[in-house]
Amino acid sequence: MEMKTESAVARVVAGILSLLKGLWITFSYLFRAPITVEYPEKRVVMPLRFRGRLVLPIDPNKGVDRCTACTRCVKICPNHSIDIVTEKSPDGAPQPRPARYLYNVGSCMFCNLCVEVCPFFAIVMSDEHELATTEKSGLVVDLVAEKHRLTGKKATWWLLKFRGGEEE
Amino acid sequence: MGRFLYDLFYNTDTLLSGWSAAAHASWAARGAPLVVLDLLFQLMSAAAVSAFLVLNALFIIWFERKVAARMQLRRGPNRVGRFGLLQTLADTVKLLIKEDIVPDAADTPVFRAAPFVVLAATFLLFVVLPFGKGLVPADLNVGLVYFLAVSGLSVIGILAGGWASNNKYSLMGGMRSAAQIVSYEVPAVLTLLSVAMLAGSLKMGDIVRAQPVYGYALLQPVGFLLFLIASNAEINRGPFDLPESDSELVSGFVTEYSGMRFAFFFLAEYTNLFLAGAFSATLFLGGWRGPFLPPFAWFLLKSYLVVFVLIWVRWTFPRLRVDHLMQFSWKVLLPLALLNLLVTAVLVKVL
Repeated sequence: MEMKTESAVARVVAGILSLLKGLWITFSYLFRAPITVEYPEKRVVMPLRFRGRLVLPIDPNKGVDRCTACTRCVKICPNHSIDIVTEKSPDGAPQPRPARYLYNVGSCMFCNLCVEVCPFFAIVMSDEHELATTEKSGLVVDLVAEKHRLTGKKATWWLLKFRGGEEE
Repeated sequence: MGRFLYDLFYNTDTLLSGWSAAAHASWAARGAPLVVLDLLFQLMSAAAVSAFLVLNALFIIWFERKVAARMQLRRGPNRVGRFGLLQTLADTVKLLIKEDIVPDAADTPVFRAAPFVVLAATFLLFVVLPFGKGLVPADLNVGLVYFLAVSGLSVIGILAGGWASNNKYSLMGGMRSAAQIVSYEVPAVLTLLSVAMLAGSLKMGDIVRAQPVYGYALLQPVGFLLFLIASNAEINRGPFDLPESDSELVSGFVTEYSGMRFAFFFLAEYTNLFLAGAFSATLFLGGWRGPFLPPFAWFLLKSYLVVFVLIWVRWTFPRLRVDHLMQFSWKVLLPLALLNLLVTAVLVKVL
């Protein structure tokens, strides 16, 4: 019986102490700097492997993109978001070059399978994540005509990939 | 001029009574009925209180959002006006121009009246609130009793709103609120009884003057704490916000309200928060008394200090379960309040 009353008192004291502890934590947080990034004005730097919109970057060594129109990305895409039109020579023979690389942002689910399957490291998922358009037609982009150039860390990382160097 | 300004801030009571006497004299000299003049004075104080009520709510909502944000490492409103100070104003304008929806199956007249009942009950509480030296709409000799009686009145509006919405969440919210206010009124009354015993008066002005410089909070630490908890529960704020617990009751009794009527409930809620702070400051922290600063400034400072504590508590503790809520009031607060009353009574007699 004596034990029981003691434990009840101990529980009340422990409860009150836990309340005070909670109050102290919220009070101390009051003086910390907010962790909010005020988005439209300030932006966070995306991680290296962030999966944004697909791009077909220009290889600075060749001056053109690295695509050979092998269509492996077209075949692996689960959502049929990619369509490649192969370039033809004047006599109609297909060339190892894409005339148009049509990428549908609307149906892409950013799974990265196309990037992984590409034997020539021709395509990369970029940092671009503000993908809203005012028209539906704006969702389909011709990546060849776009002539995208990678910059910064992502460019270095991408270049190392097909030079046979270590990743990163 | 300097003399007048000093009087305006520090001797408001003599200044006001001087004006009132002069007005009465000139009114009587012209043979006009004095009732009209008194009515005019009362309308003026009502207008002043209304203005204060709205401005205070605009500030206090912003204040709570800011404090809550900083406690959660957010920034809080910062888009409208400097530091987001005009955010509440923008929200109010939005609410006022929105459609006022009355549900099909609602009890229309009751549904329409409920927000105004709640706001009216809140407004009535300002009658006995001393803002400063002599700055009280009517210092009734039963001020404390009036405060207790009227503060329980808003539950009628809440219950009516919950019932008239014809919605199970609303009704449950209203019922919970009624149960809660009735339960927590008891410890609040008992703690205020010990304050009345110490002051020897029920008049707010007398209670303020009877307090030592440091207020009754040090003489009545348990009473102060009990009153804070009980009034926090009476104004339905976290951790006692069961009437509108959004995780189970959507929004409780305000679920079906929209537009202006919702804004009135909101206004009443935040005015009640201020009133809880203001009455705690008046009854336990020495009200408008204090060195150097004018009485009005001291009153606001102390009130907002208590308001900050209530906000702090709300954003720290999780909500109570409904049966725990009742248990806490009847099994913990009530015995403590009785004990506090007993000890106070003995000490008042002995010392």
